[in-house]
Amino acid sequence: MRIFSRLAFIRAAGTALFFVAVPIFAEETNSSFDWFKPFSSLSGEYTAEETYVSDADVRRGNRAIHDFDESDTILRFVLTPRVKFGVLRLGIEWEHFSFGFPDRTPLPNTLQEISAIIGLDMRLSDSILLRIESQPGFYGTNNFDFNQMNAPFIAGGTYIYNPNLQFILGVSVDVEREYPVIPAAGIRWKIARQWVINAVLPQPRLEYEATKNLTLYGGGNIKQTNFRVDDDFGNEHGKPALNHAVLTYSEARAGIGADWKIAPSLTLTAEAGYQPYRDFDFYRAEVRFHEDGSSPYGMISLHGAF
Amino acid sequence: MKPLLASLLLLLMAKPIISAADAVAELAAFSVFDKVDINALAKSDVKTEKVPPMSNARFLAVQSCYVTSGAPAKQIEALRQWNPTKHRELKIFLHSDLPRSPSTADFSKLKNAPDNGSVRTLVADTEKMSSDLQISREEAKKFSSGGEKGGGGAMPAPVAAFWADLLNARARSFASGGTSAQSPYDHTGEAIKPGDELNGLLKQQDKIRRQFSVFLGETGIGRGAGSLGPELYWELLDVDDKGVLTLGASYSRAGGAGTYQAADVLYYASGGYYVALTLYQMWPVSADGKPSTLVWRGDMISSASLASLHGVERLASEGAMMKDISKAVTAFRKDTGR
Repeated sequence: MRIFSRLAFIRAAGTALFFVAVPIFAEETNSSFDWFKPFSSLSGEYTAEETYVSDADVRRGNRAIHDFDESDTILRFVLTPRVKFGVLRLGIEWEHFSFGFPDRTPLPNTLQEISAIIGLDMRLSDSILLRIESQPGFYGTNNFDFNQMNAPFIAGGTYIYNPNLQFILGVSVDVEREYPVIPAAGIRWKIARQWVINAVLPQPRLEYEATKNLTLYGGGNIKQTNFRVDDDFGNEHGKPALNHAVLTYSEARAGIGADWKIAPSLTLTAEAGYQPYRDFDFYRAEVRFHEDGSSPYGMISLHGAF
Repeated sequence: MKPLLASLLLLLMAKPIISAADAVAELAAFSVFDKVDINALAKSDVKTEKVPPMSNARFLAVQSCYVTSGAPAKQIEALRQWNPTKHRELKIFLHSDLPRSPSTADFSKLKNAPDNGSVRTLVADTEKMSSDLQISREEAKKFSSGGEKGGGGAMPAPVAAFWADLLNARARSFASGGTSAQSPYDHTGEAIKPGDELNGLLKQQDKIRRQFSVFLGETGIGRGAGSLGPELYWELLDVDDKGVLTLGASYSRAGGAGTYQAADVLYYASGGYYVALTLYQMWPVSADGKPSTLVWRGDMISSASLASLHGVERLASEGAMMKDISKAVTAFRKDTGR
């Protein structure tokens, strides 16, 4: 008589959920100091991230805006208590884009959102995980008002074919977007002991586990959020059609980086690369500024789960 | 007096079978399976359920139940005879039974370890005495990379000799002193003791601990050597693309009315997990008029990697464990024609 399970579950079937920024893959660590030990009765995850983009250019017809920079700050904290139906996700997120535009640029120099995170992870079967998550909150510019409220949400599922291969399918819904429903698919495939293809939006990556606490990667980060500008934004910039308009801001980054697991609940990520795509689109007013040349960027992030 | 004598004789000769209702009630009393329809279960696949989360993040447990044809004694024998190594998907590279008093010669198959990435990782970790190796500090001091390099296989002779000595010593200490006699894994920097891990797993599942308390008291699981004789074995297997050497022991005992209890413990592992325990409770039942066995199986494991799982990772891990156990039980039932 023998235990005849192959014990693959120990590594938790490296898994990813659609539109989830963090690929979930259990990694054993020998870091002995756990900064979050005092909070061991709670479970959750957090991110503090800063990205700086320099020398950016955008253009709309003959109108070009040169050499502006961008700062993208993200603070996110999510509690993940276990409940009967799965794992609740309750938290808060603040993302703040700051652009160093020259005077009289018909684009807002600040885009920001502060939102609640309300979601649930469920296991539908041994092989299928489902996440539904909404981020109701304010999506605006310098000042928030109730007209800027929105509640985009995602629903996605992961099929765990085996511990090394998962398929991801889902939709993102945002009524303020030009195309409110966007479906997407992804794959997470551990192709060798130290190599993982993590082709999952919004951060597809090829990862190499250099050591137990250090992962190197190359990949991208695709962002798109809808913000509503102030009521008099159009008047102030000589284009009344932009008053209270919805601005879809999109950008894509491609770079290389490293995740350094400092402690069981603390990872430091550093990344650098180029931003080949950026788009400011007042799609309803048909005013659009698009990238006019790539820009270098650097990102640093502290994140973890406890 | 004659009718009474006849009745007593009939009672003594009667096949020890308990009512399905009693078996189901007993199952409900200690397991997560509140309600089981034996006839329906006999026609279906194994039923697997997670157990409520345990307070120790290293621990994970899953329970399963199924109905299979034949009496429990036949099930025990089939489990004893079943060879999982022919199922390549189980990734067990080597398996060998051990006598009650093993010697290093019983681990000679190590020299025939297959040449694959998992074994090469184990060899590399051994040669540099990586802190990933779950051994004691005293055991680590005994490794010598010098001397004969050839081994006739993927495992160099010094590495094979080191592990043969270590596994032999641990198997002998288990045979004489149960899991309490196992050295800690303090070479990893964590003073994890296999016996404590097993006790922790059982302590957090009190209903199961009580159901098996008499039986476990006769084994070496979580205590000193018991009165029941174990069937010892060792294996070389793959855990997350790493070769792992493990020591195991199996016990079984007949209970009243044809029931059986059994346990299979992996009380030592060179990596991947600290300990693993599978418990079985079997009742003789009748399914659609045929003699059958209602089997409850509880799988529990302690692993450092599990402690780093949070939120949805934990859900995924439970799902993967349930899936693995379902697959393994299905393979067993298929092989044994049940």
